[in-house]
Amino acid sequence: MAAAGNVGAIAPTAQRHVLWLRAAIIVVVLAVWEAVAASGLLFRDVVPSLAVIGKAIGRLLATPDFYRNLSITAAEIAGALLIGGLAGVVVGIAIGANRFLARAYESFIYYLGPTPKIIFFPIMIMWFGVGPGSKVAMGVLSCFFPIAVSAAGGMREIDKVLIRVGRSFRVTAWQMVSKIYLPAMRAPIVNGIRLGLGVAIIGTLLAETKLSNRGLGYLIIQAYSVFDMPRMYALLTVLFVLSIGVNALIGRLATPGRRGVD
Amino acid sequence: MASSTVPRTTVVRSSAQPGGREEHALEVENIVKRFETAEGTVTAVDGFSLSVAPGEFLSVIGPSGCGKSTLFNIIGGLMGGYEGRVTVSGETISGTHPAIGMVFQEESTFPWRTVIENVAFPLEIIGMDKRARQMRARHFIAMVGLDGFELRFPSELSGGMRQRVSIARTLASEPRILLMDEPFAALDEQTRLLLGDKVLQIQQDLRQTTLLITHNITEAVQLSDRVLVMTYRPGRLKRVVKIDLPHPRDSEVISSDAFGRYVAEIWHDLRVEASLGMHEDESRARNEKSKR
Ligand SMILES: Nc1ncnc2c1ncn2[C@@H]1O[C@H](COP(=O)(O)OP(=O)(O)OP(=O)(O)O)[C@@H](O)[C@H]1O
Ligand SMILES: [Mg+2]
Repeated sequence: MAAAGNVGAIAPTAQRHVLWLRAAIIVVVLAVWEAVAASGLLFRDVVPSLAVIGKAIGRLLATPDFYRNLSITAAEIAGALLIGGLAGVVVGIAIGANRFLARAYESFIYYLGPTPKIIFFPIMIMWFGVGPGSKVAMGVLSCFFPIAVSAAGGMREIDKVLIRVGRSFRVTAWQMVSKIYLPAMRAPIVNGIRLGLGVAIIGTLLAETKLSNRGLGYLIIQAYSVFDMPRMYALLTVLFVLSIGVNALIGRLATPGRRGVD
Repeated sequence: MASSTVPRTTVVRSSAQPGGREEHALEVENIVKRFETAEGTVTAVDGFSLSVAPGEFLSVIGPSGCGKSTLFNIIGGLMGGYEGRVTVSGETISGTHPAIGMVFQEESTFPWRTVIENVAFPLEIIGMDKRARQMRARHFIAMVGLDGFELRFPSELSGGMRQRVSIARTLASEPRILLMDEPFAALDEQTRLLLGDKVLQIQQDLRQTTLLITHNITEAVQLSDRVLVMTYRPGRLKRVVKIDLPHPRDSEVISSDAFGRYVAEIWHDLRVEASLGMHEDESRARNEKSKR
């Protein structure tokens, strides 16, 4: 994660303070939560106490059903990222490399990028069904745009002389892409994938909560519909932690240990 | 890439005449290159010709903006749309050619590759297997005096070392003709002199046919067998100066009387051209100011 990188850049004592501040905000949030839960201001079941949620998490993690649905959602997101990522990188390179393509299509990508993809969900349901197919499609729609935009930007930022070096050694078109474009664009591509992953998770889960028959989003909405609040919060918490973990992992790829890559 | 308007090597005409023309490794005939710009047509190079004999070290010197890099890109096959001919051992070429190896004016090492991976790049491109290309790369790394730095990244090297990596990388492709565009421009004077020694020594050892493009008089005289002086834009041939300094030659030669005479002679011609360029730049700046 970006924040983790920032911590590394400052002096050790300051770093300790940052970690303390971080822990403090979490403690404060949890304390406020617990206070609200205890006060009875809201419906007791709407804000269950931490202990109840904790127990629900324990129960959740002990059911095979949870892992089955988790792996379905994970597979949907991975599939979406794979398809959307490949398409995004290819389109990004094409647009970054070709001025005419850029002039023709770049504005589409810029303006379509931030529109909520959920409006396409009914169409996706019709095309790909209620199952994972439509969820993957939503994930693809979500992550394609940020990845294409980053890749196009990265492509344009490649030092032009490196391309001329490649041409002078008479590289083939494929070698140009694999040995010059892609390694030179590593940082923007990884960054695009990170953004893409975020929105792929959102797109996929949103679709699952709308209409589905499996997956984590389905479990969440099921818990909600039977008013099993502790279970719902348990699911949300687990999901939250997993997303942070995956994002942090991808962030690592952008800043590898070897020097000289940036 | 949008810039790939130039085809990869196409041999237009093969005129491998026995004997006769074979004395020229590289021949450039009557090159004319015009650019269309917003302010009209700019003739960057106007009827420039040169020929390099096998094993010769030839320099082209000219003031900034006289069309040197344009010429470099045309010979290297990276720029099309010109009039005239470029021939390698009598064979007319258009587009890039394996006989020509280029070293660029700008920093051009691949930052994500180590020194050895950089130098092995052209060998990787032609599909040489890893062991063989690493061995070849090591050989050329040692030649430019970078042994021990094989596993460093360019960001861990000085500017002079990085430029040596670029030179080693081009040498590793074993081009018949080494074509360099101000390879030392970004370096300080001392590094430039010492690196010049290195390049000259390699050139002599390999009997490498070399065409150096430069705006540095000292460098041109220190290294070359012949120096061609270019006029300011449009770039034409102004004068040919044969450098009769003995070989082996090193940078100590710059203190000799003969060296001083060559420098003075070239500067005499170049001064006029360089000041033309400067006046033009100044008047353009003045025009732009008055427009605003
Ligand atoms: N792509 C281009 N479009 C328009 N004009 C160009 C282009 N490339 C070069 N020129 C013009 O052609 C002239 C020669 O440029 P060139 O880069 O060959 O000069 P140079 O001798 O290499 O200069 P320097 O010593 O500064 O590197 C310059 O006036 C430049 O403005
Ligand atoms: Mg130049």
